[in-house]
Amino acid sequence: MAVHEVLAATNAVVTLDVGIPGIVWPWLVTVNMWAKSIGTGVIFMLFILLRMHPESAKNLRLPTAIVAFIFINIFLLFTLADLHQPFRMWHIFVYPSWSSAIAWGSFMASAFLGLLVLLAFLAYKKNNETFDKVLLWTTILAIPVTLYTAALMSQCTARELWQMPAEAAQMILAALLAGSATMILVGGNKLSDEAKKTLGVVLGLSALMAFIIYMSEYVFGPMKAEEIAVILEYIKGDGPYTVMFWLGQWIAYILPMILILLSRSSKSESILKLAAIMALVGLAIVKHVWLMIPQLLPMS
Amino acid sequence: MQLGFLVDLHLCMGCKGCEIACKVENEVPLSTWRLRVKYVDVGTFPETKRTFTPLRCNHCENAPCERICPVSALHYLDNGIVNIDKERCIGCAGCVMACPYGAIYIDPQTQTADKCTYCAHRVASSMMPACVVACPVQANIFGDLDDPTSNISKYIQNSQGGVQVRKPEKGTNPHHYYVGGGNVSLNPLASFRPEGHDLFGKMTSKMPVGGH
Repeated sequence: MAVHEVLAATNAVVTLDVGIPGIVWPWLVTVNMWAKSIGTGVIFMLFILLRMHPESAKNLRLPTAIVAFIFINIFLLFTLADLHQPFRMWHIFVYPSWSSAIAWGSFMASAFLGLLVLLAFLAYKKNNETFDKVLLWTTILAIPVTLYTAALMSQCTARELWQMPAEAAQMILAALLAGSATMILVGGNKLSDEAKKTLGVVLGLSALMAFIIYMSEYVFGPMKAEEIAVILEYIKGDGPYTVMFWLGQWIAYILPMILILLSRSSKSESILKLAAIMALVGLAIVKHVWLMIPQLLPMS
Repeated sequence: MQLGFLVDLHLCMGCKGCEIACKVENEVPLSTWRLRVKYVDVGTFPETKRTFTPLRCNHCENAPCERICPVSALHYLDNGIVNIDKERCIGCAGCVMACPYGAIYIDPQTQTADKCTYCAHRVASSMMPACVVACPVQANIFGDLDDPTSNISKYIQNSQGGVQVRKPEKGTNPHHYYVGGGNVSLNPLASFRPEGHDLFGKMTSKMPVGGH
């Protein structure tokens, strides 16, 4: 219960004010994060598959490079679309401020895109040896590329809900979830049963860990700070994002975990693919809710 | 030199003269503000009281907006003012998201970030900010915090223990102080913000940001 609701004497009501800003980072930023999770996640998965199941993954080099290229371009396109002055994007490269995660992210994402082009070219030329060497560096770069958005969110001092350790873990888990789900769909029949099992384990465990972090925040967050308590009210009870929050948790995490267990016992590829599709759809919903709710809080 | 602001809320009577002066001086577009006065009614009828709180950029020593800006459009001037270069701004709205005081907005005309600059252009010409000049009761005190003989330094000295900043827990070290403030006037979560009609018209709590 907020202070103004405790006593009749402290009952406080805003009786005259200007309109305060609504949603500042809209759904375009949700798509940005979602596409980046796929673009970096498939690179992580290809790296793992080539080491654990090389025979099964050998034909996935070109398709994976193309999928990553497409989704990183979607990520960049929506980043650009979200700018109010998109034609000044070049200012970042000419006047970078290195205290900003946005500046670091722009440079790293551009380099990542360059490496993806190189990977696609090497895969097309079937130069597997060089491809695998470049893939190592691409995978290493994919880590900060996927993490920089967490750094950016943590730089938003106004948004108490977004704390760096939790957001960093969520970004990596989102990349593993989206990457494994996409690889299950892209790999299809090219993947051996063992490779599918590996992807299923990655998908299931990343869903479980992400779900645990969200539930920890949901239960314990309000005990730490007044702002978090108020923000989480938007996803509790009759809150405006309650339905969407739980829909996301079920579609992204809970149902895929159950489906993966079922697919392992029944050895059904269809159930595994259903889990992958649900995880990808649910991830967008989960990301969107977490992006929106801190923006509903009045700052002044 | 470190310029700062102090508002004596004992003196402020909510005339909004500062708000209008700021709008005129800086040509602030409709639906946006650099400085505004918020009214909060406290208590239950007939034991009620109205508080008036002018809100503007805090020109923080450790400004989150300056840190998050990828192109240094938000930058410090030598006199401590956090200024904005609208020609350089790319409109990423990172500063709007970072500012814990909700002091930055996207200008709907230029599609760039904007905020109070303590009237840096007037200060450069040795003039006081427009809001200071307009205040009929001298509730706005502006000056050099590094100068112990300045009005603002003396005011802080004389109000020992009664000087507050907004959200000190954020670690931003604001250069904007209040005397006579309380939880209701300085903490936005300490008051209920109803949708619908307020004193003079319809209060829409959520305004669109720029072109989205």
